[in-house]
Amino acid sequence: MAGLPRTAGAFAVTPHKISVCILLQIYAPSAQMSLPFPFSSVSQHNRLGLYLFSLTKSCDDIFEPKLEELINQLRDVGEEMDAWLTDHLTNRFSSLASPDDLLNFFNDMRGILGSLDSGAVQDDQIILDPNSNLGMFVRRCILAFNLLSFEGVCHLFSSIEDYCKVAHSSSAQFDASNDNLESLTQYDQMDMENYVMGIATEELSVPFHLHTPEALIKVTEGITYGLRVTRKESSRISKKNTEATRVVCASTSTLEDTLVDESLFLRTNFQIQGFLMEQADAIETHGSSSSFSSSLVESFLEQLQNLAPELHRVHFLRYLNKLHSDDYFAALDNLLRYFDYSAGNEGFDLVPPSTGCSMYGRYEIALLCLGMMHFRFGHPNLALEVLTEAVRVSQQLSNDTCLAYTLAAMSTLLSEMGIASTSSVLGSSYSPVTSTASSLSVQQRVYILLKESLRRADSLKLRRLVASNHLAMAKFELMHVQRPLLSFGPKASVRHKTCPVSVCKEIRLGAHLISDFSSESSTMTVDGSLSSAWLKDLQKPWGPPVISQDSSSRKSSTFFQLCDHPVSIPGSVSQLIGASYLLRATSWELYGSAPMARMNTLVYATLFGDSSSSSDGELAYLKLIQHLALYKGYKDAFAALKIAEEKFLTVPKSKILLLKLQLLHERALHCGNVKLAQRMCNELGGLASTAMGVDMELKVEASLREARTLLAAKQYSQAANVAHSLFCTCHKFNLQIEKASVLLLLAEIHKKSGNAVLGLPYALASISFCQSFNLDLLNASATLTLAELWLGLGSNHAKRALDLLHGAFPMILGHGGLELRARAYIFEANCYLSDPSYSVSTDSDTILDSLRQASDELQDLEFHELAAEASYLMAMVYDKLGRVEEREDAAALFKKHIIALENPHDVEQNMP
Amino acid sequence: MVSKESCRNEIRAAIRQLSDRCLYSAAKWAGEQLVGIEQDPSNFTPSNTRFQRGSSSIRRRFSTNESISTPLPSVGFSQAATPLPEEDETIDGDLYLLAKSYFDCREYRRASHVLRDQMSKKSVFLRCYALYLAGEKRKEEEMIELEGPLGKSDAINRELVSLERELSALRRAGTIDSFGLYLYGVVLKEKGNESLARASLVESVNSYPWNWSAWLELQSLCTSIEILNSLNLNNHWMKEFFLGNAYQELRMHTESLAKYDYLQGIFSFSNYIQAQTAKAQYSLREFDQVEIMFEELLRNDPYRVEDMDLYSNVLYAKEACAALSYLAHKVFLTDKYRPESCCIIGNYYSLKGQHEKAVMYFRRALKLNKKYLSAWTLMGHEYVEMKNTPAAIDAYRRAVDINPCDYRAWYGLGQAYEMMGMPFYALHYFRKSIFFLPNDSRLWIAMAKCYQTEQLHMLEEAIKCYKRAVNCTDTEGIALNQLAKLHQKLERNDEAAFYFEKDLERMDAEGLEGPNMFEALVFLATHFKTHKKFEEAEVYCTRLLDYSGPEKEKAKSLLRGIRMAQTGFPSMDLEHFPI
Repeated sequence: MAGLPRTAGAFAVTPHKISVCILLQIYAPSAQMSLPFPFSSVSQHNRLGLYLFSLTKSCDDIFEPKLEELINQLRDVGEEMDAWLTDHLTNRFSSLASPDDLLNFFNDMRGILGSLDSGAVQDDQIILDPNSNLGMFVRRCILAFNLLSFEGVCHLFSSIEDYCKVAHSSSAQFDASNDNLESLTQYDQMDMENYVMGIATEELSVPFHLHTPEALIKVTEGITYGLRVTRKESSRISKKNTEATRVVCASTSTLEDTLVDESLFLRTNFQIQGFLMEQADAIETHGSSSSFSSSLVESFLEQLQNLAPELHRVHFLRYLNKLHSDDYFAALDNLLRYFDYSAGNEGFDLVPPSTGCSMYGRYEIALLCLGMMHFRFGHPNLALEVLTEAVRVSQQLSNDTCLAYTLAAMSTLLSEMGIASTSSVLGSSYSPVTSTASSLSVQQRVYILLKESLRRADSLKLRRLVASNHLAMAKFELMHVQRPLLSFGPKASVRHKTCPVSVCKEIRLGAHLISDFSSESSTMTVDGSLSSAWLKDLQKPWGPPVISQDSSSRKSSTFFQLCDHPVSIPGSVSQLIGASYLLRATSWELYGSAPMARMNTLVYATLFGDSSSSSDGELAYLKLIQHLALYKGYKDAFAALKIAEEKFLTVPKSKILLLKLQLLHERALHCGNVKLAQRMCNELGGLASTAMGVDMELKVEASLREARTLLAAKQYSQAANVAHSLFCTCHKFNLQIEKASVLLLLAEIHKKSGNAVLGLPYALASISFCQSFNLDLLNASATLTLAELWLGLGSNHAKRALDLLHGAFPMILGHGGLELRARAYIFEANCYLSDPSYSVSTDSDTILDSLRQASDELQDLEFHELAAEASYLMAMVYDKLGRVEEREDAAALFKKHIIALENPHDVEQNMP
Repeated sequence: MVSKESCRNEIRAAIRQLSDRCLYSAAKWAGEQLVGIEQDPSNFTPSNTRFQRGSSSIRRRFSTNESISTPLPSVGFSQAATPLPEEDETIDGDLYLLAKSYFDCREYRRASHVLRDQMSKKSVFLRCYALYLAGEKRKEEEMIELEGPLGKSDAINRELVSLERELSALRRAGTIDSFGLYLYGVVLKEKGNESLARASLVESVNSYPWNWSAWLELQSLCTSIEILNSLNLNNHWMKEFFLGNAYQELRMHTESLAKYDYLQGIFSFSNYIQAQTAKAQYSLREFDQVEIMFEELLRNDPYRVEDMDLYSNVLYAKEACAALSYLAHKVFLTDKYRPESCCIIGNYYSLKGQHEKAVMYFRRALKLNKKYLSAWTLMGHEYVEMKNTPAAIDAYRRAVDINPCDYRAWYGLGQAYEMMGMPFYALHYFRKSIFFLPNDSRLWIAMAKCYQTEQLHMLEEAIKCYKRAVNCTDTEGIALNQLAKLHQKLERNDEAAFYFEKDLERMDAEGLEGPNMFEALVFLATHFKTHKKFEEAEVYCTRLLDYSGPEKEKAKSLLRGIRMAQTGFPSMDLEHFPI
């Protein structure tokens, strides 16, 4: 009862296979001629052979082509002799008038096979080698037919009748019903109200009614033959929304139709499992985007379930579907049902069955899935309880595989839940693994869980898990600096738990996955679905123009062709590798190389955009937009944001709002609109503490921004207070990287308030932090502040400040954003001006150049305060030089900026 | 109140009409109700009345004579009268007679072929019905032929499409009779069009209420009380039967019992009503009463197999091995290939602890009827006994999927998962079962125990569950004791004392003794002593003195302590003095 033995490769004779056999008879007739009758050239003959080869290869696919489709394909393959081929095919079918003819047909098939001892082969003779692919196919067909009972033969016979009939009836109606396709698609979903309404019209066209369902299937089949190929693309062109959705709808409804229609033929377990895997991938990638209709999938799954009640994986797919359409109760219900029926023994191919515990079922996987589901629906506490139970049970049953996955899931859960909220949760639950770490901080617990999971995954050779654990580890090392706090200071050793090298190492280890998979791709093609790729590949050169046009839009996936066969990379693997690129981008962002970060994000967005989940895709977009804002100004950034908003409208827990608030805040600060900035700040703070728990990082960011707002409002003491308490929070929660920026902020505050002496230690501390954590860009910016502080101590320090600045200049100009660069330029000018040994009249160009640069960049940024300063300085210099006209220009610019600064509300109106 | 006589006349006519149309099970049901009506004593000599129950053959002969001789007009019809349908075609065509005999020999296609050109309503119905049954038969065969690795059962009745087309055309043309409507309803239901099927069946039973099969189909389409209430049904006494059955299926047992009470006024000897009443009582867990009813039922109708599985459940619950084996033997001789018989035998083996054999018989029952709910659940129980949890879970889950309101199966699922050491996972199932039966203390206690497991250790939640169990009148008294202990564990001594006292009261009322009693007494005595309520403490101590064993010594020392405290001596010094 529980579970189902996998009868892999059960092979059933279907009408389609009989067609292939007929064609094989043509290809290799038993009468031995050098070139059989209809072929005029050897290449023609070979072409048919190649086509047949691909047909036999794809016979494990879930969809078998209809007779008409086959004929269409033959038309392309057969060229001038296509008429003869199709005639022969249909005649052969119509000559099958009784079950006895079938019996004779298969007896004849035996004749085209050569004898097993191939010694007696003459030169020109065409003989099917029984051990060749085609020969094997014929032998399997014959064997499967011989195994059939008489009832089976009868069923085959009646299904052949249907197979031929459909082809005949549809060819007549194809054109007529093409126009009202849309009304027809609704036909089968029509409920009885419509039915009663339709009765009147039906009376007029009763004969039509009789044929429509079949015709409909054919019509949609014919059209979606092309569409099925373009399904992937359809999601990309979702701008043409209506069109795309129609395409998707049409293709899914054909799935239904085909499935129902072909239910006469038995599909093997193997085929359906492969098909379902494909569907699961589709749900996961397009799950929550608007162009994907979950109700259609649902109804189709329901049908499938009716057809194959013992196929439990359908429940799992329903769960996935419900999960992505955010239906908690239905998802829970289906998940539980799936595991009740399958006992976790079916469908988890990623987890090889660990020996010995199959008797008890593998319900720990149920717990793992349930935990992840709770997490997704935002019940972290429940999720943690369930996962703890999963750990316990898998330890009990010594299922190390599941344990490794569970630990990984737990660490993700802990790291994503934020930090403040977890401490209470972990206190209540206990488990053998987590309890050892109960005295540790959450980060340390995450680290331990990850290590444990990695160790197990490594020993069990779970490649995907190893890779994703490496990535998680890299992320962890990047984010959490494990620095011995006692040995703080310049004298302490510079060795800490994290350094870019180890992050890089982890990422690289993660990316090894792809090479692993390409080397073992032969073992990975367990899915029946993959075999259909053969046919598609072969058809490319002959296919209708629709397909060849598509190949240009599919360029993105050519990357994979470099590695191996185009389809040998499963979606989950490419998703993981995509994630590694995102992580690289993030790490470069932190370490301060903007071009590298941008490049990696772009790589991700172009190569992995299709296979990634939409939330990852969103993240890539957000990164690019942030980059735009920093380096190209707000106008471009907001334009891009608008596009992203449309694209990722439906992503759950979207971060777009967050980014928008951040951008608005920055811009308000630059424009000098303190009130607006304060409002944005408050909203950010609101986002940080949701019902799910407090997102500590977001909270820190919000208070950092608050301090900056206060600073902009010139409330120095309050700003300093906020920054101080923020520093304490960071210290408490071990947020080292944030500490560096808080220190820098404190230095800024003291600089602005005129207490340069007080600011110096903060700036120095910040620099020391940055150095030890390799935060190069932040380091440069801290150096700039330090230099500014020195200058603030008096003009006699100008030389020293200038030296400091010049030291940081390469970094600032190479990687810094607009604001930082402008600040550096202006400061440089300031230094020169306050340097007593410098005279404007002799060397004005150095100053003017940098000032011009600064004011250009600030123009884009709408940073009025600095821009005003730059133009003021320019005006002064021009004044000294006596260039009146230019002085007036600079002064006008200065006035403009000052006015804009004083009336920030004018600007607010044209904000998005 | 409907007059018995009119009922009788209606049913008599109906039986003839129904069996004329080969609707045999409806005719059978009607026949049972016919003899269930109390005979008019004036029509019988005293010697006849002893045949009232038991041998019905004499009475039937008697009554048929009577119906022919005295065609009484219906009197006192308070409810909306449904006119008896006129006998159409008094002379059946020859072809009809042939078709009917083919039908009776189960040659359905032949029967429908014979009637291919007949246009009378009766012939059309029989033709369609025969066609439908032929399709059903073929479907069953195909189901076995086509059984693939995935348990594929997509065999469909291939006649449904043509039948639907024909019947809907007839309906539009208005040339369909109530039997045709019934068949149309069945076809629509098979095709999955429930709302239209319901409409068609309602129309059928409103025009011809005596077709019990139609009512049964209608009942199976009423999955919620809202649907049931929305039906627009004419008043007729058959409707009361329908409502009784429907209420029962919707777990509204008291309403259902009321209906059957009412019907018993007319059909006072109906076995059907008695069995239905027993069913309702069983759901209300009145086992003794149910046993008596079934015994009587078997006396009157010794070869009855229907509903006997329920009787076996009662016997199982009462652990009456001998009676159960007697029953099993009897049904085995009557008809061994009925799902009910297999189930009874399975129950017997289960009671004997031979779980493998029990499973075999439950399996057989399920082979005979795949949707046999209680067999799935019982098989789950057997697998639990055999420690084959995955199989048990599978069986329970099938039961739940057949009827999501089956609280036993939900409970079984929870239990199975708890057995596997997944209490948190099990909780969800316990919650489900409690949702469907919130008044059962056993379910609450099971859930509380789940919370109490060492893995979860969620004592507060456990306490809440036990409290609910106490409110549901927990007969076994586990909840009170557990509540007291839990409070004691959490060092809430006042609450603990409260519940110990309550538990003590209960045990006193039921005259029970045992370790629980000692525990309660010891705790109460010490508790009151520490709170300086010496009188209460003394009472409990003296009660303890009645028993021998270590508790007695404990009580003695407690008493000593109390005396000391009362006299004001420092108790510490005097503890050591032997008395």
